[in-house]
Amino acid sequence: MNNFEYMQPESIEIASKFLKKNSSSYLYAGGTDILGMIKEDIISPKQLVNLKKINSLNYIKFDEKEGLKIGALTKLSEIEKSEIIKKSFNVLHQAVKEVATLQLRNVGTIGGNICQRPRCFYFRGDFDCIRKGGDTCFAVTGNSKYHCIIGGGPCYIVHPSDTAVALLALDAKFKISSEKSEKIISAREFFVLPDVDDQKENILKDGEILTEIIIPNSSNNISKFIKVKERGAWDFALVSIAGVFEIENKIIKSGKITFGGVAPIPWVEEKVNTGLTNFKIDENNIEKLSSLAFTKAEAMDKNSYKIPLAKNLIKKLLSEIVY
Amino acid sequence: MSIKKSKHFFEEDFVEKIGEVSDENYKQLPPNKDLKYIGKKIPRYDGYAKVSGKAVYTFDINLPNMVYGKILRSEIPHGKIKSIDISKAKSTDGVLDILTFENTPDYNWYGNSSKLFDQVVRYEGDEIACICAETQKDAEEAAKKIIISYEKLPFEVDAEKSFKSENLKIHESGNISREKPDEYSRGNVDDGFEQSEIIVEDTYSTQIAIHNPTEVHCSVANWEGEKLKIWDSTQGIFEVRNSIAKSLGINEENVQVIKEYMGGGFGSKLEAGKYTLMAAILSKKLKRPVKIVLDRKEMNLAVGNRPDSKQTLKLGLKKDGTILALNHYSIANVGAYPSGGGCSWPARTMYQIPNVKTVDYSIFTNTGRSRAFRAPGHVQGTFALDAIMDDAAEKIGMDPLEFRIKNYAEKDQVWGGNYSSKMLKEAYKIGAEKIGWGKRNKIPGSEKSYLKTGIGLASQIWWGGGGPPAHANMKIAKDGLVHVYSGTQDLGTGTYTFISQIAAEILEIPLNKIKVHLGDTDFPFGPSSGGSTTAPSISPAVRDAAEKMKKKLFSAASALTNISEDKLIYSEGSFSSENIKIINIDEIANQVESDSLFTKGSREENIEGIVVQTFGAQFAKVEVDTLTGNVKVIKIVAAHDIGRTLNRQTLENQFHGGIMQGLGFALTEERIMDSDYGKMLNPNMHDYKIPTMLDAPTEIEVIIVNDMDELANNMGVKGIGEPAMIPTAAAIANAVYNAIGVRIKSLPITPDKIINALYKN
Repeated sequence: MNNFEYMQPESIEIASKFLKKNSSSYLYAGGTDILGMIKEDIISPKQLVNLKKINSLNYIKFDEKEGLKIGALTKLSEIEKSEIIKKSFNVLHQAVKEVATLQLRNVGTIGGNICQRPRCFYFRGDFDCIRKGGDTCFAVTGNSKYHCIIGGGPCYIVHPSDTAVALLALDAKFKISSEKSEKIISAREFFVLPDVDDQKENILKDGEILTEIIIPNSSNNISKFIKVKERGAWDFALVSIAGVFEIENKIIKSGKITFGGVAPIPWVEEKVNTGLTNFKIDENNIEKLSSLAFTKAEAMDKNSYKIPLAKNLIKKLLSEIVY
Repeated sequence: MSIKKSKHFFEEDFVEKIGEVSDENYKQLPPNKDLKYIGKKIPRYDGYAKVSGKAVYTFDINLPNMVYGKILRSEIPHGKIKSIDISKAKSTDGVLDILTFENTPDYNWYGNSSKLFDQVVRYEGDEIACICAETQKDAEEAAKKIIISYEKLPFEVDAEKSFKSENLKIHESGNISREKPDEYSRGNVDDGFEQSEIIVEDTYSTQIAIHNPTEVHCSVANWEGEKLKIWDSTQGIFEVRNSIAKSLGINEENVQVIKEYMGGGFGSKLEAGKYTLMAAILSKKLKRPVKIVLDRKEMNLAVGNRPDSKQTLKLGLKKDGTILALNHYSIANVGAYPSGGGCSWPARTMYQIPNVKTVDYSIFTNTGRSRAFRAPGHVQGTFALDAIMDDAAEKIGMDPLEFRIKNYAEKDQVWGGNYSSKMLKEAYKIGAEKIGWGKRNKIPGSEKSYLKTGIGLASQIWWGGGGPPAHANMKIAKDGLVHVYSGTQDLGTGTYTFISQIAAEILEIPLNKIKVHLGDTDFPFGPSSGGSTTAPSISPAVRDAAEKMKKKLFSAASALTNISEDKLIYSEGSFSSENIKIINIDEIANQVESDSLFTKGSREENIEGIVVQTFGAQFAKVEVDTLTGNVKVIKIVAAHDIGRTLNRQTLENQFHGGIMQGLGFALTEERIMDSDYGKMLNPNMHDYKIPTMLDAPTEIEVIIVNDMDELANNMGVKGIGEPAMIPTAAAIANAVYNAIGVRIKSLPITPDKIINALYKN
């Protein structure tokens, strides 16, 4: 672990200004990921900017018209406890419950969860991989069990966030603040593939901070999140799926399905979502729909199981929402 | 007391020892239901100290003026150190000394196959230097400044490839550990297969698992003149004492090893560690106490593991289910230094088979060396053996339980002796009843829903009889408190607790009158705690000391009251004569001269020709989600013959722990290596997946089928640490097969394997 300068700004403006000036500084939200990365010498920041003094970013607000707004520094366990989220944005409630462990959720924030770094064991281990500025993705010839089946190259990570998968299904928007301005973009635009940037998982530039998550009101929806992992808690997804549907009499009027654990970003299979318009939920249709998914996936040596697994999750999701 | 030569099994091998044994021949105590303390759910003796933070573990030892050692380890899997530049590190703030192969004498290690610091490194994690500094951080920072230049050598992390490799030689003698396979045979397997009507053959494999005990390996060493005092997190304080004394060329009596409390070892702390010797060397040079604590990455790389296995089994039987022959061939990856990876003992001993042949190869690779891990060999061997048993039963259309009973071994088949007790049939019967064996899928995988339940079973055999020498001294102090001293150790398993129970039971006094002192080589000798032998070795010695104390109390009472011993009646700490209470232990203790009430207790000999083994059967009920590949263990029934239960509470705790470790082996735990770079990819507690409470079986039922094993020892006790874990993974694997109808032949059974088996991509 290197020595670093530590600061606790009291406003977004000050934090942003500092970040812009010091490009090798890192943001500290809950700290559950970044402290481990510093201690294990995966990153060596010169400055660490702790946001914990910025009280204005810890809130959950709901308004029929404007929808749900969550401050980026809201603890995951606060979201888990929120009645309005449980009632009207249940897929997010379910996804948050799947994150790590209760102890980590008591410390980790929603903003941090969305911006966390990949768990690839080459990235986390002492391998000079592409994501750390090297020129090799070691998973390609090495162990690819936990790596992506689509959207990869030259780096083959999967995006680790559970909440991001649910937020994409909910058509969430993210507010990005910098010293002098704010902008709102869709969650989908936030994440970037490695062929665009192989060292970052999102579009945030120096000085930009994710400050708010905005979810349009969608209280009539039925939703579900399923995460397949190797152990009961404290594990990342092999594959996860989130679905948000408007259903009438076993017919999905419209719906959206998103995936985690399959790509370097939270993933959307367009053909599947197109197929969800006026979709009658029965075994045949489910089978047909799942066969449309991941036709372009390319598995490596050890991750081919993810293709049938992801297709199975479409079946599991659709058959479980009606019962 | 007399000196005898005796032998017993300890971790897959006979140990023969000459030492003092008790000549007393005590009548077996009555069954637990007629006893006051033994067998009951007595809370842990050390429970309060542990939960209140008062218990001092080695990790907690901090001495005045103490300094810290940090070990620098190889980052490459195989190479020769061309040069090592410590100049920058040495001039770092706080650094006091740096040990390397260049400035340290040769201390042989791993049976002369390596040295404390070897110029050749043979795995990622091999020790290169030890930096000693004023603080832990100083030492860690300095370690990063050491510059090493290697001549890289070819390497291999896979046992089969290393076995066949022509250009890789990990040691002079080649790549076979101990230079040849371990072979065993009885009868004639060729004849057996010839007479067989059905032959079943298959290959099964198991992964490398890491012990990862809660408390990391650590030592503190401090010289007081010529005497070396060591605090060590170890399963064998005398083993550490003798080993360190031998390395340093000093008298054993000049080394004292202490370990009062410990956070688990599971076999990884059965041998003295290099870090302990480094701490002793540095402490001598610097004349200050030195502490060395391993971090979690070092725990995963460098202090042992369960070797993997690739086992090919061939079973020959008649159509009526009689097994005629078994051939077992295995190859195991034992890492970079000599160790044993054999896993054929269950094949040799579990079922009645006249013709058996086993060949076990232990192969060197450029990975961390294996060590004993909770029932070494048996966990892997049982998985494969009980898998092929189920496959064979299915082939002849016989119920798997009936098939096992059909081939039940009444007598030991390796030495030909009678078992001290074997109540496995009773265990099968009650276990089957409790799991609902009758409702099991008759056709594996036939359930319609995507959620499929299955039931499976596996059998357990293990030694766990223990033996002499093992001693315990007892002393009653002036205040009437009874002190027991023994150089055994409590790994967290309950040694303190059962010793207090036995003393209280025999002396008929309350538990709070007993003080137990363990984990110090200045106490009478106790064997290393491994092989499930601590309770069966030590508990009879404690009884011996207590019975002798009782006798002594009679003579003391008589001397103090002038009433002849035969007129005295002892009950619950008091003597009476003609129904009048005359004197109690407190009064006696107060009135006799110091050290009069002192006894030496010892373990008696094992009975010649009797084979002491533990037995059991575990039944697993699982639910497999065939869409996700997840396996949920719903219930485990563990029914075992392990002799007398000493404490029902700690017994259940140990079963729960063993079953959870078995569940981890079955479903989640696995060392993952990158074969191109020879590095471990998951050397941390996040990626090396030990099961969590959410993975625990919904229900665990523990049933002990006998009151005692009368021939095992004067307490009727056998060990349970290892038996608890042995059959769990095998039972779960058989239940998974019963649920989905496809055999997953390699552990752990992770979702990817189930999905790959069920869906063609």
